[in-house]
Amino acid sequence: MGILFSKMFSSVFGNKEARILVLGLDNAGKTTILYRLQMGEVVSTIPTIGFNVETVQYNNIKFQVWDLGGQTSIRPYWRCYFPNTQAIIYVVDSSDVDRLVIAKDEFHAILEEEELRGAIVLIFANKQDLPGALDDAAVTEALELHKIKNRQWAIFKTSAIKGEGLFEGLDWLSNTLKSGGG
Amino acid sequence: MSRFSELKHAASGKRRLKDLLLQSDNRFCADCGAPDPKWASANIGVFICLKCCGVHRSLGTHISKVLSVTLDEWSDDEIDSMTEVGGNSSANAIYEAFLPEGVSKPGPDSSHEERMRFIRSKYELQEFLKPSLRITSGKTSSSSLKSSFSTKLFDSFRIPSVSKNSEGMVEFIGLVKVKVKKGTNLAIRDMLSSDPYVVLTLGKQTVQTTVMKSNLNPVWNEELMLSVPQDFGPIKLSVFDYDTFSADDIMGEAEIDIQPLITSAMAFGDPEMFGNMQIGKWLKSNDNALVDDSIINIVDGKVMQEISLKLQNVECGELEVELEWMPLDQ
Repeated sequence: MGILFSKMFSSVFGNKEARILVLGLDNAGKTTILYRLQMGEVVSTIPTIGFNVETVQYNNIKFQVWDLGGQTSIRPYWRCYFPNTQAIIYVVDSSDVDRLVIAKDEFHAILEEEELRGAIVLIFANKQDLPGALDDAAVTEALELHKIKNRQWAIFKTSAIKGEGLFEGLDWLSNTLKSGGG
Repeated sequence: MSRFSELKHAASGKRRLKDLLLQSDNRFCADCGAPDPKWASANIGVFICLKCCGVHRSLGTHISKVLSVTLDEWSDDEIDSMTEVGGNSSANAIYEAFLPEGVSKPGPDSSHEERMRFIRSKYELQEFLKPSLRITSGKTSSSSLKSSFSTKLFDSFRIPSVSKNSEGMVEFIGLVKVKVKKGTNLAIRDMLSSDPYVVLTLGKQTVQTTVMKSNLNPVWNEELMLSVPQDFGPIKLSVFDYDTFSADDIMGEAEIDIQPLITSAMAFGDPEMFGNMQIGKWLKSNDNALVDDSIINIVDGKVMQEISLKLQNVECGELEVELEWMPLDQ
């Protein structure tokens, strides 16, 4: 029975694939997060004037992770990648307090997109290693996350440089996707 | 502020920034001397190259707030602080007032590590200021704390950096807006009619129109957006018949070569500088699905192309689309 059950379980979820978009303002740490997840290393990055895409296998889910550039004039390109997306990872530079309002506006604009209606949302309050970084509660408030309706979401404190919080976030993502969210 | 004066205001800010960038000392990166920098640290007031920009970004915005001169929107305050500093020469007169012997500036081909070391010393630790301006060195507990923290941060960058990320990056050159206008005499796939919709694919992107119920001459007039990477191929267009209970049937396909559109747009540069005129042509041939030659025009400052396609691998059907090219100005 136990074997049968686990066989069924793996056949249902064993080769599940998920399309994930990593979005956020420029210099939030999206590319560093992508390669930290994929290679386990901190790479030196330059601004992404386009996208990076990598596959990350985790918890029996194959995540196809799209990291899209965050510069102002690249943001309109994000919507070309919205169809068939199961989850958004929204990355915030928690130490860039001046631009949290812009980060909030971009975030809520994304949530209103029809094509992303079914996507679950994981927020990374990134750059916790920098002085003056706001914690998850403060970022929750600044992004007005309480306004999110009819959608599963979670926020994690992360430091892509130190590798902290990222896989906790992916755990939430994989559990939520397996239980039918997204 | 009205929308118009807002735009005018933004344009004048942008011009002030461009003028500053044209100043001779700003034609080279403030940190490594690479030509033609397109990035800037808005709080420090220097123009820098893409590689040094990567280092500046890794320091955190409390040290350096990096913006692109071409790809970002600048606030008035940010432009003011750039003009106040007055460019790379003035900034370096402060930040590099005193370069000790043995310290040399990185060059355009320096490694990431060399840049990192110099840029941190220059701006974060401010080691090259006039001695009187320098932050008290290593004596107080707070600054030693700061430097040990920074060293730790620096160490984490020393991991042999696979430059995989830059190789893996797919760069955008612009957006193409595809207006799917109408279909004519499309093929019948159900009893008497079809429920057509159009799918466009470019690289790994797929977008589609809505389904038109029982219509062989559908009018969509729907705008779909595709991002165009540097290494682009043709847009693949397919028409399908929507079926509720079985797989959708194909009703023909065609390829749209966007090379003529992009090449002629690039040859002309800013379309707003020109009146309405023809700038290029995609010629009908045996190898493509064109019904007629397709003309590329500048229309009211936009680069547009009207295309009539004879659908391929199907008994009948034509499709009209209109393209608009929106380049990413870098």
